[in-house]
Amino acid sequence: MTLTYMNIMLAFTISLLGMLTYRSHLVASLLCLEGMMMSLFIMATLIASNMHFPLINIMPIILLVFAACETAVGLALLISISNTYGLDYVHNLNLLQC
Amino acid sequence: MAYVLFTLSVLLVMGFVGFSSKPSPIYGGLALIVSGVVGCVIVLNCGGVYMGLVMFLVYLGGMMVVFGYTTAMAIEEYPETWGSGLEVLGGLLVGLMMEVVLVLWVLSLDETVVVSFSDTGDWVIFEGEGSGLIRGDSIGAGALYDYGRWLVVVAGWTLFVGVYIVIEIVRGN
Repeated sequence: MTLTYMNIMLAFTISLLGMLTYRSHLVASLLCLEGMMMSLFIMATLIASNMHFPLINIMPIILLVFAACETAVGLALLISISNTYGLDYVHNLNLLQC
Repeated sequence: MAYVLFTLSVLLVMGFVGFSSKPSPIYGGLALIVSGVVGCVIVLNCGGVYMGLVMFLVYLGGMMVVFGYTTAMAIEEYPETWGSGLEVLGGLLVGLMMEVVLVLWVLSLDETVVVSFSDTGDWVIFEGEGSGLIRGDSIGAGALYDYGRWLVVVAGWTLFVGVYIVIEIVRGN
């Protein structure tokens, strides 16, 4: 079972690395954020099942609620960027010209 | 199959590498859906029937659909798939190779630091007498509405304010 836990933590880390690196699209980073939330959900549910402690199951459900909020706000920002610039390319976001 | 849970977790990591190597977002969404299905089967294998159902309905059925048509609004003419360029393909291959090497290396270790990674573990299901009709995870999630009344109120209010924020952002100016 511990090797399964290691794989799920590895999945979280891979999504984190994917979110922190930009290529061309902004929505790809939002997808990696979704992956992080999903791996946290799976991890918490497995711990709740393995420790025979059902009350932990509250945490993944609330995590899903707030992850849905976060997704909605991220997609709204994406839509407003896409309305201004046409596509969600990262190199369009150049208001801060350092 | 005794090692089905371990195999599924390896497939989960491979699915995550599939969208973390940043192809065009429509293919990333496909990889996320496949990873979500695999993750759901992992949760189901550990006895979490209700949590797997919640994940399927809310996550894959709700949020991925929203992602899908939002991505369809912001897509380009020639989307970039996993085989169409060295960066994405290289990232995918490096990720898959890393997973295989890591799993083989960890399985060959022999020492125990805090936990021992080199055995894939046993899963024994305890059934008490007369508790066969009560699933643990649905009872635990049902306690959300009993002990966690205030948490439900706060989460519901947060969702309502979130919807309002989304409307204000999309309206712009």
